[in-house]
Amino acid sequence: MSGLEKIGKTDPRLGNEKLKRYIRDKVNHLLSVMGTKPLGREELDDNTLLELDPIGIIALSFEQILEHQKETNRRLTVAKDQLQAVFDTVGVCISIIDEDMRIVNCNEKQKELLVSVNTEVIGKHCYEIYCGKDSPSLDCPAVETLATGRPVFIREVKKKNRHFQIVTSPMKDAEGQVTGAIEVSMDVTEKKKVEELMRQAEKLTAIGLLAGGIAHELNNPLGNILGYATLLLKDGESALGAGQREKLEIIVEQAKKGSEIIRGLLDFSRQSVPAFQNILINDIIRKTVRTLQNRLACQGIKLDTALAEGLTVRADPRKIELVFLNLILNSIQAFEGMDRKGKAISVRAAREGDLIQVKIADNGPGIPEDILPNIFDPFFTTKPVGKGAGLGLSICSGVVREHKGSIHATSEPGEGTEFTVCLPAPAGVKGRNGKEDICSGSL
Amino acid sequence: MKKHTDAGKNIVLDIRGQICPACLMITLRELNSNKDKLKNEKARLVVKTDHRDATRTIPGAASAMGYSVSVLQRDRYYEITLEYGK
Repeated sequence: MSGLEKIGKTDPRLGNEKLKRYIRDKVNHLLSVMGTKPLGREELDDNTLLELDPIGIIALSFEQILEHQKETNRRLTVAKDQLQAVFDTVGVCISIIDEDMRIVNCNEKQKELLVSVNTEVIGKHCYEIYCGKDSPSLDCPAVETLATGRPVFIREVKKKNRHFQIVTSPMKDAEGQVTGAIEVSMDVTEKKKVEELMRQAEKLTAIGLLAGGIAHELNNPLGNILGYATLLLKDGESALGAGQREKLEIIVEQAKKGSEIIRGLLDFSRQSVPAFQNILINDIIRKTVRTLQNRLACQGIKLDTALAEGLTVRADPRKIELVFLNLILNSIQAFEGMDRKGKAISVRAAREGDLIQVKIADNGPGIPEDILPNIFDPFFTTKPVGKGAGLGLSICSGVVREHKGSIHATSEPGEGTEFTVCLPAPAGVKGRNGKEDICSGSL
Repeated sequence: MKKHTDAGKNIVLDIRGQICPACLMITLRELNSNKDKLKNEKARLVVKTDHRDATRTIPGAASAMGYSVSVLQRDRYYEITLEYGK
């Protein structure tokens, strides 16, 4: 071999043919491992072969390869851990499925929202684990992505009582064949609730404006009808026949009913300015309960109270009383036509952080799930025609919002309904005694 | 074979006239003996070869050892630059 200038001396091992063959074979084997062709005798003569020590060179090179592999593995492990952390903490659900729709991997968010506790998911069908079905649905985006190799976006889909936006993207091999799909689901349940609340608020504002305008226009003529009918009843006490008197009384009664509806409309449209003051919520609750005492007794309904003392809110007492009156009346009316023993209403008041929370619950028939979202809509009623204007709960909702609070209902058909009113507690006010002992009672 | 270190800390190995796998052997020997210098001092090994096969075998082996490789075709020879990491 020319060019390897320093190798000039004759190696004493040169006569050992067996050793030279061994070295040449081993070198050629190692070179084949490194992906290169064997040494030819014309490239490296025996003397140079022994002097160059190719086995030693390749061994040291392999040591460097091993070091590099170790470092690469370490970096890959760090990168994998980082990627796993991102995978698990990202705020969306991610699932990787193979071409048979079996789950290859999924992140913690996916498990939290769409997988039952302690369920093994790897290798299971995604439709079985995430959708609770035996086969994929017709509009499944993953099916389409696996079939077409194209990404699919679904604006909204309901899974396990939550709403999701889903994007599925294909995974392809080097030949461009689809080998699986990545499904990214964003939970939009809360967003939908906020949108629904905003829609509701807009609707209420529009209806409130309309109702307030109509109420104003009707108030004066209705007042005149009521006034003149009352005058006629008084002035013509002797001249009126029994039939005429009865008809006038109907006019007065109906005009009064009309006035009540108008007052309700004005309250709903909040055209009466609230007179805010610091009040003890229990005083209002007790006053409301006293007002309804007879009615509760007549209908055989037991009312229990559990009121933490010293709960102060900044509110208009007349309007807040109207809220509790409407809610308890709603519960009382829920029992109408119900033949059962143990009719009960409970009123509980307590502080929850910065909020004063009042819960009014009954064990009545409950509200069907499909109409529960509509109960705070104005003019929505399930009562027979003439029995209610459908304004009670919408007035409650309007008043509570006016007080920067919230109201919501939960119901189990056949079990009962619970309304929760939350009002902000004024900062720094603890209550009359600075204590919040629970005071229970019943009617 | 000629070897020198240039002003920019590059180790220049001129193996024009050699053919593979001797080219690879000589390059590997330089990578081994200058390991610390190449890794810690950011020096580069520049191999000048006129054997086309060497532009395939040297980059393959050097990449597996963690070196980045660039091959330039000069007038009548190739210049293979090996740099650790990068």
